[in-house]
Amino acid sequence: MQCSKCGNPKVIIKKEQSGQFLCKDCFIESIEKKVIKTVRKEKLLDKGDKVLVALSGGKDSVTTLEILNTFREMNVIDICAVTVDEGIANYRQEGVDIAIRHAERLGIEHKVVSLKDEFGITLDEIMQKENHKGSCTYCGVFRRTIINRAAREMGATKIATGHNLDDEVQAIMMNYLEGNTDNLTKLGAKTESKAKEFTVKIKPLREIPEREIGLYVVAKDLEVHFDSCPYAMQSFRGEVSEVINQLAEKHPTIKYSTLRGYDKVKEVLKKEFKKDYSHGRCVKCGEPSANELCKACSFLEELGV
Amino acid sequence: MSFLLKIKNSEEIREIPNDNYTIKDLLDELSLSAQTMVSKQNGELVIEDTVIQDDDEIQLVQIIYGG
Repeated sequence: MQCSKCGNPKVIIKKEQSGQFLCKDCFIESIEKKVIKTVRKEKLLDKGDKVLVALSGGKDSVTTLEILNTFREMNVIDICAVTVDEGIANYRQEGVDIAIRHAERLGIEHKVVSLKDEFGITLDEIMQKENHKGSCTYCGVFRRTIINRAAREMGATKIATGHNLDDEVQAIMMNYLEGNTDNLTKLGAKTESKAKEFTVKIKPLREIPEREIGLYVVAKDLEVHFDSCPYAMQSFRGEVSEVINQLAEKHPTIKYSTLRGYDKVKEVLKKEFKKDYSHGRCVKCGEPSANELCKACSFLEELGV
Repeated sequence: MSFLLKIKNSEEIREIPNDNYTIKDLLDELSLSAQTMVSKQNGELVIEDTVIQDDDEIQLVQIIYGG
């Protein structure tokens, strides 16, 4: 057994989808080349962009930062980062510390924003409330608001997130199975909103399988926070993910074909189903909102904050 | 014939039950999925088809967590 590219006998991965064996160096190079290819193919970056990386300190966001940094080193873009501290005891701090160390290592502008400072309540405190709607509901909405605000404050022209191939395929299948045609129009490598207050979001890792991102950070000795969120629970996403992974064992290319198929029909879906939200302003915080109150402010009201 | 298994913060000496005992066999025995783990043999990343040798140090790193 040897590396299919260079003949090195020290192989670290057998790519089920292609049957290729790769050594450490060739594997690292293949991941970086593929991300760069996605960036070029999907036109994710423009020269002079300032990209805000949503940096949790986990494998996906650290990989996003690491590979986008090659564009920064070539003076194509500038990079900054934001880390959201949701206020989850015995979990979040390690990721925050790792994010700080990466930002320092690369010398990039970085800020940590906590739910407590921004909204006056931590996720742990929300979960103590009797009328809460589940941790992920709040976490998603508050995190998105913080990242959008940070992008405006830091003058970012793009927001890069660490969504990988598994995340994208799960989202495609979940929305399809739920018949959510509205959400199906919003997926993809690059999402733009008509509201100029929402910065363009890009997903440079969307063609990289999750396991390969995990292997990449271990192979490159990148410090990351490997841990499970204490609020992670059996969700519909988890169930869909399990089915897709089971199918992938016998059909190793299925994640790629699902993504390719979606990319082919996306424009038609957008044409047929994209809703044209009229964007007003939240009367409380001024963020863009389709309703009188934005989602974050309506949650805060319900929670009595 | 035995090897040292390192997983998370714990270490354990385990017997090699038969010839051609691979990391995949070990993962199956521990009910762990190769999809969520990466493996190191004596400090170097290896694939799961690797046969565990006497006195090896095998480290299993979980890279995918639910949620």
